[in-house]
Amino acid sequence: MRLAFILSEIGSGIRRNLSMVTSVILVTFISLTFVGAAGLFQLQINQMKGYWYDRVQVTLYLCVDNSSETSCAAGPVTDEQREAIQAKLESEQFAPYVDTVTYESQEEALGHFRDQFANSPIVDSVTADQLPESYRVSLVDAEKYEVIDEAFSSEPGVDAVSDQRDFLEAIFRYMNWASVVALVIAGIMTFCAILLIATTIRLSAFSRRRETGIMRLVGASKAVIQLPFILEGVIAAVLGAVLASATLWAASKFVIDGWLVDTFPQTAFISSQQVLLLVPALILLGAVLAGLSSLLTLRRYVKV
Amino acid sequence: MIRFDNVTKNYDSKSQPALDAVSLDVDRGEFVFLVGASGSGKSTFIRLVLKEDRASRGAVYVAGQNVANIPSWRVPRLRRGIGVVFQDFRLLPNKTVFANVAFAMQVIGRSRAVIRETVPDVLATVGLEGKNNRMPHELSGGEQQRVAIARAIVNRPGILLADEPTGNLDPTTSMGIMKVLDRINQNGTTVVMATHDDDIVNTMRKRVVELRNGSVVRDDAQGIYVGETGVLTG
Repeated sequence: MRLAFILSEIGSGIRRNLSMVTSVILVTFISLTFVGAAGLFQLQINQMKGYWYDRVQVTLYLCVDNSSETSCAAGPVTDEQREAIQAKLESEQFAPYVDTVTYESQEEALGHFRDQFANSPIVDSVTADQLPESYRVSLVDAEKYEVIDEAFSSEPGVDAVSDQRDFLEAIFRYMNWASVVALVIAGIMTFCAILLIATTIRLSAFSRRRETGIMRLVGASKAVIQLPFILEGVIAAVLGAVLASATLWAASKFVIDGWLVDTFPQTAFISSQQVLLLVPALILLGAVLAGLSSLLTLRRYVKV
Repeated sequence: MIRFDNVTKNYDSKSQPALDAVSLDVDRGEFVFLVGASGSGKSTFIRLVLKEDRASRGAVYVAGQNVANIPSWRVPRLRRGIGVVFQDFRLLPNKTVFANVAFAMQVIGRSRAVIRETVPDVLATVGLEGKNNRMPHELSGGEQQRVAIARAIVNRPGILLADEPTGNLDPTTSMGIMKVLDRINQNGTTVVMATHDDDIVNTMRKRVVELRNGSVVRDDAQGIYVGETGVLTG
């Protein structure tokens, strides 16, 4: 009975205050969409880190004719130098760090180069002896890149030690920035949402002061008096969260599944299923925000 | 039923207290008129009984309990034991007569069946049979006040407080309201009625407590009241 009564109070509250309730829905919708977008960026970063760091290799480029490094002063790498490098890579000392070592000759390098730039006229002008031989080293722990770098960068016959992580980190930095920007916007919008919820509850309390006054006199409990107001805000915020979730899901469905996956087939993207993991968090966040801000407002504006 | 023990109420420290060391006992089943000019402290008395305000000094007991010791979450229970009627009726304009009375039962969680059974009985008690579905604006002032009384007593409180219930009504209608209040009192409810309508007080011949500037200046078992002139007889 009391539940039915509270529900009917909520219904009449929302009807009287329809425009404010709509604006609460929209503002929570926008703010939670940005919160969710920031979350998705982070998920994507983690996903790519996990995917790439397993595949990251350190490449030791060996000297060619025109190398300028001091370790290449003696000209192109000699057979002895190459053997020494390989022996060092496979020695006991580096066994804890090195997983596998693959040698890539100049001819193989040219083959890869041709594959990569198949559509470019540059292919025809490049010959095998312009490209360096290399050792591709995959690491047990990708974070231990410096160990290899220090040990081999001044080794005779090694031109340069390169880590693909440098390149990836730059990408992750940009994505991190994007998620920070999304979070800042989300923060501002959430602040707006809180203020708007508070104002809505205040108006609602004002338009129903007669009812609440009578409720107090006949001994209605605090819960019965305040719950309709709180739930009014919570319902609006949860609706906003549902809209935000739907938007994020649709965006991931169309942008990631429909476009990015086809355009960048080597990259691991989050799936729209993973977006669904965010939904409960967004709804909970919306409900808690609305609940807290209406509770604080009621403490000031509805005497019990 | 209601006991004021040396109660003082200051709304602010500079002005004169609204109630000044008032001591008063109202027994169970009594009918008491609280009389005095505007600003004499009648409404403050009612607010203190309802714990809408705290006494600055002294203690207010309702049904044997010091209201100062009632924690805020128990205040609704205190108020369920007290019905209140005001000069301005305070009905919900968009609800029917039935719904206005039922509202008081809904908010404390009474079942629909109980409400359907109780409300018509109470409406009959206040003389509003057959007006269940009227809206408040379709009723006369006297009828609206009867609805307000029905709402105040529908949860069977032990105490009925009436703050100038006839203040907006003509003398004939007022007498009708007084008959209703008297009948409620006959059924065992303690009634405290604040008024400055001397005709009513003199007709009813009940206990009269007169307040002036926050102090009790008179407490007569079967008193009368002669308006603002201050001439006392009886």
